[in-house]
Amino acid sequence: MVEFKKIDGRSNGYWLVCGIFLALTLWGAYAWYLALVYGHGVMGLSQRVPWGFGTAAICYTIGASAGSLIVSALSGVFGKEEFKFLSRTACVFALGTIVAAMLSIMQDIGNVENMMNVLFHYNPTSVFSWNAFLYSSYFVIGFVYLMAQFGEKRLITKALAVLAVAWAVLVHSGTGGIVGFVYSTDLYHSSLTIPMFIVSAIVSGLGLLIPMWLLTFKWTNRPLDRNLMWYLAKVMGALTILLLYCFTAEALDTAYIPGNAGAIHMALFDFHYPYAWVYWVVQVGGCLLTILILLTPWGKTDWGMGIAGFIVAIAVYGERYTLITPGLGYPKDLVPGMIFRPFWIVPYYPSWVEYAEIIGLMSMACLVYCIGLKIFQILPERGEVEEA
Amino acid sequence: MTSRREFLVLLATSTAAIATGKAMQTSSTDVDLSKYEWSMVVQVDKCTECINKMLEKQGIKFEELSLDKQNELLRNLRPPCVKACDLANNVPRMPDNPRFDCYMIRIIAAKATEDASWRFFPLMCQECEHPACVEVCPTKASYKRPDGIVVIDLHRCIGCRYCMVACPFNARTFTFKDPLEHLEKINPEVPIRKDGVPMKCEFCRWLIDMERCEGVKNPKPVCVQVCPYNALVFGNLKDPNSEVSKIVRTSKVVRLRAGLGTEPKVFYHDL
Repeated sequence: MVEFKKIDGRSNGYWLVCGIFLALTLWGAYAWYLALVYGHGVMGLSQRVPWGFGTAAICYTIGASAGSLIVSALSGVFGKEEFKFLSRTACVFALGTIVAAMLSIMQDIGNVENMMNVLFHYNPTSVFSWNAFLYSSYFVIGFVYLMAQFGEKRLITKALAVLAVAWAVLVHSGTGGIVGFVYSTDLYHSSLTIPMFIVSAIVSGLGLLIPMWLLTFKWTNRPLDRNLMWYLAKVMGALTILLLYCFTAEALDTAYIPGNAGAIHMALFDFHYPYAWVYWVVQVGGCLLTILILLTPWGKTDWGMGIAGFIVAIAVYGERYTLITPGLGYPKDLVPGMIFRPFWIVPYYPSWVEYAEIIGLMSMACLVYCIGLKIFQILPERGEVEEA
Repeated sequence: MTSRREFLVLLATSTAAIATGKAMQTSSTDVDLSKYEWSMVVQVDKCTECINKMLEKQGIKFEELSLDKQNELLRNLRPPCVKACDLANNVPRMPDNPRFDCYMIRIIAAKATEDASWRFFPLMCQECEHPACVEVCPTKASYKRPDGIVVIDLHRCIGCRYCMVACPFNARTFTFKDPLEHLEKINPEVPIRKDGVPMKCEFCRWLIDMERCEGVKNPKPVCVQVCPYNALVFGNLKDPNSEVSKIVRTSKVVRLRAGLGTEPKVFYHDL
């Protein structure tokens, strides 16, 4: 039986961590305020690249949430009882990040006052419209699942865990569909986008949870089973390899069409623009570095696992960026079969406002987690499986 | 304190106002828009002649310009159709700021081979039969009227820009800044947009609706009205005797990005 307890939360360290996250959240809120007052012109967006960091943040936070919830449900769905002590913290983090995701949608849209129209005027052909219902129901399911865990009701918890995993997959599939179903842009339309979204969701979820758990148990002076952490780090590493495989397959799939040659060349090999840098350095480089760290003996240490997790979480953000922006930066083939003008590639560089918004949102999710530790019984007394 | 008499008067007035509003609403939707299918034919030969004359006057040889100069020139080129459209539809132009510059019509230059000569034509919303923008809009703010015109309901739009991303023609722009600050003149017939919403050509629906109600037989958008070369032909595709129907039926016309299956209602002749 795992015994969960609230943390004391009176130490200077605890308040310092909360204070840092709060300050970053407020910074993000200020950036949002600027966007509301001065319009989306304060962002790095343009008529040709109307989606950027903000949209990447939506995909990322939903992915991180879905990934965290799937990890949280490991014990319930797959009977992995040894992970039960982690399920509550992962679930709280999943709820924090889905709130961040919904806020990132609010930050990204240009007409916030009309936002409720998404619920009143449902459009069955719009993937975005499906998601309005998927996201809100996902939050409810995640919350009920957390409550069931508090109640220690085994059967209900198991049933809700299965539902939560299914819903997390559905929610993130819907998010992938927003981009993957767009057929007008050479670099968007791909059947691989949806499964790739699921893989990267679990990778980014684990990438954020592993350092978070290591720090939480260390700072609250609780023992943590390093073998379990190493097991999760190995799962993260294996899925990172799968992710690299997906990147390769998708790039080849797009590049095989001669008409896409210009677009794929720009996205992957033209270093005059930010896209190729982000692809090779952040996305592919980040994944390779993660695998490399985990393959060395140092990768088994707390620092090794934590840094690997952090790097792969950023690499997945890079993946979201390269999924969304290069396809828009490259001109659409307006007159197929002809040479046409105007023809120019639009580079996209996020402004500080966009950085502040995403950092603020992620900090808010972390703040929710820190407060959750203090007011809910979500952290086990011992982070290890007791021998029977 | 409101007396019973005042209350009854207020109640009667409100009921009358609601009833009148309802009646007006009913009368406006009573018009059977489905008997129209607005369409446009762009006669590229004539458009090319117009643009070539404009460039000639300025002493510019388009083919001799670098790619960057060609792009810049086309971005700022305002033949009569574009100029009239901008003014009539409250389009906030920002020539100094291409990132946020809004447009409804753009001039495109195209040629089949390197040694061919450039041909010029306007590109606006293609009013597709199966519009990608309508398909993806999460609030049905973008919708297709029975007469085929794709419109944006600004009271519903949340400004998510999904329609811009999905449009195969980049026909939509977004008001990144307050449009009021960038209007030369305000046309009171057209809604003034706020910042944070998309905009596009709607075949000057405010004008053709008005003209149709006034009994004008062949209502026309402003770009068609001002074109000095009669290069743009506008009309009802459902009327077999309309000029647009005749051209589409008898001439070799093409639709842009036809392979996507969105079935644009703008046809290009002699492209």
